[in-house]
Amino acid sequence: MSVEIVLVYQSLLGIYGDRGNAMVLRQRLIWRGIDAVLTEVEPGDPVPATGAVYLLGGGEDAAQVSAVRGLQADGNLFRAIDNGAVLFAVCAGYQIAGKTFTVGEQDTVIEGLGLLDATTRRGTDRAVGEILTSWTHPDGSESLITGFENHGGFTYLGADATPLAKVEVGIGNAGDGTEGAVQGRVIGTYPHGPVLARNPELADHLLSVALNRELEPLPRPEIDELRRQRITAVRKAGNRR
Amino acid sequence: MGVMPAELTTPATPASLPRGDRVRLWTATRVGDAVALASRLAGKGSGASIRGQILTRLAPDAFAQLLQGRRVLAVSGTNGKTTTTHLLAAAVRAGLGADADRLVTNADGANLHYGIASALSQRRRADIAVLETDERVVSDMIAKARPELLVLLNFSRDQLDRHHEIKALGRAWRVALAAAGKGGPTIVANASDPLVVWSAGTAARVIWVETVTAWSADGALCPGCGAVLTHTETAAGPRWRCPGCELHQPEPQYRVSGDQIVLPSGKMVRPDLQVPGSFNVSNAACALAAAIEFGVPLPQALAGMHTVTAPAGRFATATFGATTARLLLAKNPAGWVEALPLAASDPVILAIDSVAADGKDVSWLWDVPYEQLAGRTVVCTGPRAQDLAVRLSYAGVDHEVIPDLRAALGERPRPVDVIATYTPFQRLLKMAGLR
Repeated sequence: MSVEIVLVYQSLLGIYGDRGNAMVLRQRLIWRGIDAVLTEVEPGDPVPATGAVYLLGGGEDAAQVSAVRGLQADGNLFRAIDNGAVLFAVCAGYQIAGKTFTVGEQDTVIEGLGLLDATTRRGTDRAVGEILTSWTHPDGSESLITGFENHGGFTYLGADATPLAKVEVGIGNAGDGTEGAVQGRVIGTYPHGPVLARNPELADHLLSVALNRELEPLPRPEIDELRRQRITAVRKAGNRR
Repeated sequence: MGVMPAELTTPATPASLPRGDRVRLWTATRVGDAVALASRLAGKGSGASIRGQILTRLAPDAFAQLLQGRRVLAVSGTNGKTTTTHLLAAAVRAGLGADADRLVTNADGANLHYGIASALSQRRRADIAVLETDERVVSDMIAKARPELLVLLNFSRDQLDRHHEIKALGRAWRVALAAAGKGGPTIVANASDPLVVWSAGTAARVIWVETVTAWSADGALCPGCGAVLTHTETAAGPRWRCPGCELHQPEPQYRVSGDQIVLPSGKMVRPDLQVPGSFNVSNAACALAAAIEFGVPLPQALAGMHTVTAPAGRFATATFGATTARLLLAKNPAGWVEALPLAASDPVILAIDSVAADGKDVSWLWDVPYEQLAGRTVVCTGPRAQDLAVRLSYAGVDHEVIPDLRAALGERPRPVDVIATYTPFQRLLKMAGLR
C-alpha cells in the first residue's frame, strides 16, 4: 500500500512555495523504494482521511479564514490526526493550527483549528529574512534548521505545546528565542525554503513518525552543499538581515 | 495630415511651472546628466537611475513637474510591462508618422520614480509619454500625471519578501482611481485576471481585454470578499465569477484567440510579432487596445508593433565568446511558466539570484514546474544555483552546477537559451554589451 502525502488547500495556502515540502516527502520515500502518492485537495472537496502526512503552507489573511472554515466543516483532518497521521504546518498554516490568530487591519481574532496550544497576534515588526534554528531531535541530538521566515504574526505557546527549535539567527515565534511548536503528531514552524528541502533530517523525522519506523539514511551531497551555503550566509549576515 | 484621427494629433496642454521651479528643474537635469555621463564612462551602466536620483534630490517635485504638459499612457502589472510598453510606444510612433519624435518612453525598463523622471528629463519637448510604471508607482502616477490611459496587464506573486500581500497594491490602485473620479484615466485591463478586474473596479471607464494566461494560481480567491471563485466554461470561453459578491469576469471588448486578436467589431487580426510566446500575444492585445483608443489607426498600430524585437534585451540573441545565447527574463513563477516552454535548447542555462530585485526568498523555485525539463540537461548558475540544483534533483532533471555566469556560458558549439532572474539578466546584457 502506498504512503499518502496530502497537500491541503494549495489555492489558499500555497503562495510561498511550501508545496515543495510535499514533493520532498514523497520523493524521499520513492528514493528509498517505498511507494508514495501525493494527493492535493482543494476547498469544497473532501479531505482524504487516509493520509500519513498532511501539509499546510503559507498564505494571506483571507485565505487563512477560508482554510479554517473548510477544514472544520470537513472534519477529516482531525479524524486522521486522531488515527495517527502527522500534520506539518508552515507559516500561515502554523498560525491556523493554533487556538486563535488575527487577520486584517483591525486585528480581528479568528478561532483556529485548535490542534496546537498556541495563539498568534500581530507582532511588533514583520519578521522577514533568513532564519537559523537549532532543533533537538526526540533522542536528544541536535541539528540546524535553515529557512526563510516572512510573517507579521507572533506566536505564543501554551503549556501543552513545546517549541520545535531554538533561534540562532532570526525572529522565530515572537523574538523570544523559540521557533515552532510540537504537540503530539502536530508540528508547526515558520520557515519557508521550502523548509523540508533545506532540512532533510526534519523531513525524514516526519516520515519516521508517520510510518512508525526508522528510515535508512539517504546521502545527498547536493543538499549538504546547499545547507553549508545557507548556514554560512545566514551566520555571516547575522541579525542585520 | 488629414487622415490622422483628431485624438492622436491633439497636442498636450503645455506645462505651466513657476519660474523658480523651471530653473531648479533645469539645473537639476544638467547636474543629473553630468553624473549620468560620468557613470557611463566609468562603465557602470546607462546612468539612467543615478541621473533620476540626482534629479529628484535637487528638484524633489521633478517626477510630477516633468509629467506636466504631457499626454501620458502608462503600463503596469507584474509581468510583461517592458514588452508591452515597447509595443505600445512603437504603435503610437507609427501612428504619429513624421511626428514620431513627439513621443518619449522609458525604454530601458527603469520604471520607478527615478527612472521615469530620468527618461522624461531627456526629452522635454516630447508631449506624448508612454511610461512603463512599477506597480508601486501607479497610484502616484494616477494622482500626479493624470494619465489618459493606463494599461493593467496582470497580477501575480512576486517578491513576497517585500510585498507580503499581493492584494495590497491593487487596493492602493482602487483608492487612487476612486480619488481621480471621472477625470481619471481610461483603463485597458486584463479581464481574465480577477485581481486586475478588482483593482480597476473603481475606474470611471475600462476597456476589457480577454487574455490567455498559463498562470492562475493567484486568482483562487475573490479579492473583494474572500470567497473561493468559481470557474466555468461558457460558449464564449472560460469565465470566473464570485459566488459571494458581485465581482465577475467582465465581457471583453478585445479578445485573444490563439495567435490572433479579436477586435470589438469581431474582426480578427494576427499581430505578426517578432517577440515570441503566447503571453506576448496577450501583451500585444492590450497594447493594441490602448493604441486604438489613443487614436492610432489599426494598420499603423500593427505595423509599429511588428518592429519590436528585443525590448530592453528581453529575447535578445547575444554572443559571449564562442557561445551564442538567447536571453529570456523570468522574475517570478508566472514569468517562468511562460518562459520555460520557449527555452528549447539542450543544455539550457538557468541563472538564479536572490538580491532585492530578484526576491530574497527563493522558495518560489518550488512553484515552477521544472519537471517539464526532464530529458534535457540544465546548467544551474548564479549565486543561488545550489537551490535550483536541489529543486531539479527532486524534479528528476539532470543538471550541473556552474555558479559563475561567464563560466556557465562556456564555449558552446550550438546556440543555448538562458533564462535568468532580474539581476543575472542585467549582468548578461552588460556582458553582451547590450546595455
